Amino acid sequence: MANKQGNSEATIFFADTRFERLARRPGGISREEALERAQTAVEEMKTDFTDWIDQQYSELSASLADIAKDPGDTDALERAQQKCTYLRDVGSTMGYTLVTFVATTLCDILEAYIAGATYDKNVIDCHMDAFLLARTDEYRHRRPEEVPELANGLLRVVEVASIVPPASPKD
Amino acid sequence: MKNSTINLRDLLILVADPNSYLRRVVNGMLRGFGANKVMEVDNATGLFQALSSQKVDILLCDMRLPPHGGLKLTRTIRRNADNENRTIPILLMSSDTSESTVKNARDAGANIVVAKPMSPSGLYDRLGWIVFNPRPFVDCATYFGPDRRFKIEGYPGGVGRRKGDKIIEVGAEAGPSLDQDDIDSLFSNARSGQD
Repeated sequence: MANKQGNSEATIFFADTRFERLARRPGGISREEALERAQTAVEEMKTDFTDWIDQQYSELSASLADIAKDPGDTDALERAQQKCTYLRDVGSTMGYTLVTFVATTLCDILEAYIAGATYDKNVIDCHMDAFLLARTDEYRHRRPEEVPELANGLLRVVEVASIVPPASPKD
Repeated sequence: MKNSTINLRDLLILVADPNSYLRRVVNGMLRGFGANKVMEVDNATGLFQALSSQKVDILLCDMRLPPHGGLKLTRTIRRNADNENRTIPILLMSSDTSESTVKNARDAGANIVVAKPMSPSGLYDRLGWIVFNPRPFVDCATYFGPDRRFKIEGYPGGVGRRKGDKIIEVGAEAGPSLDQDDIDSLFSNARSGQD
């Protein structure tokens, strides 16, 4: 496995990794059973998922409160964005499709704020209200298409609120 | 691939993601698939410690793993000629599966990208894809990693999803559908060899 830095030739080889070799061994469980068992494992975790959402929501709120005091607080913006990505990345897996949708739009806005878009507290507040709705049993399973007023409203907010002003020309 | 069985028993799987809940979910899925050795780390330092102290068989890494992200980490693993984990399968987990992100992952040397939030079938089929579609490694001056010249014939298990995917809306049925006689008459010439 020589290093080819500075050499124009390419070597092509099969690594045949331990993972590839051993994962092909007979004795594994069928795809159907594997998926059923994995889904059961996910279902078992759902019992404490709402507690986890509430904790993330609380920490997200705290960071957003810091941003409201100082919209230029990049640490708070990054903390808020991290919490938001956490919610986005597991929401749908745990059956909270709408939480993932709201978190995705808020992530886009926070990214825009980090990039220099103008802060607007109303934009943040409407997302936090949407979060509270999305975590309820009545709404959590719904897909964005099933709540068009909410989904289109948030998408429109993202469109308007994510405009990053061009950087001022340097002297 | 749908009917192929993968055996994860005794394979050491390293899950690297800053989100502890997501690590727990992935760990649960992998154990459901039959894995019995799953390690978790939340940053690159922990990841490199694990790689140097254990014989890790596959790495599932977040695209935004602190501090520098999964792309840089993948390049670091692949480009160090003295690294015995250089050919380890790397599956990058990302909520952004735009074409440019997937291309960047490919060019960094990742084997495959899985979209977050992930489903058990999405994860299982991508692991299966790595197992049953092994690609040769290319070692050249500018790249070390799985051969980038490949084509996925449809997403495994139909689970692929990209941010840019568009939903096609089909209009409501405007009138009665064709019955079998109408269909037969449309194709009668072709069937009798006249067309």
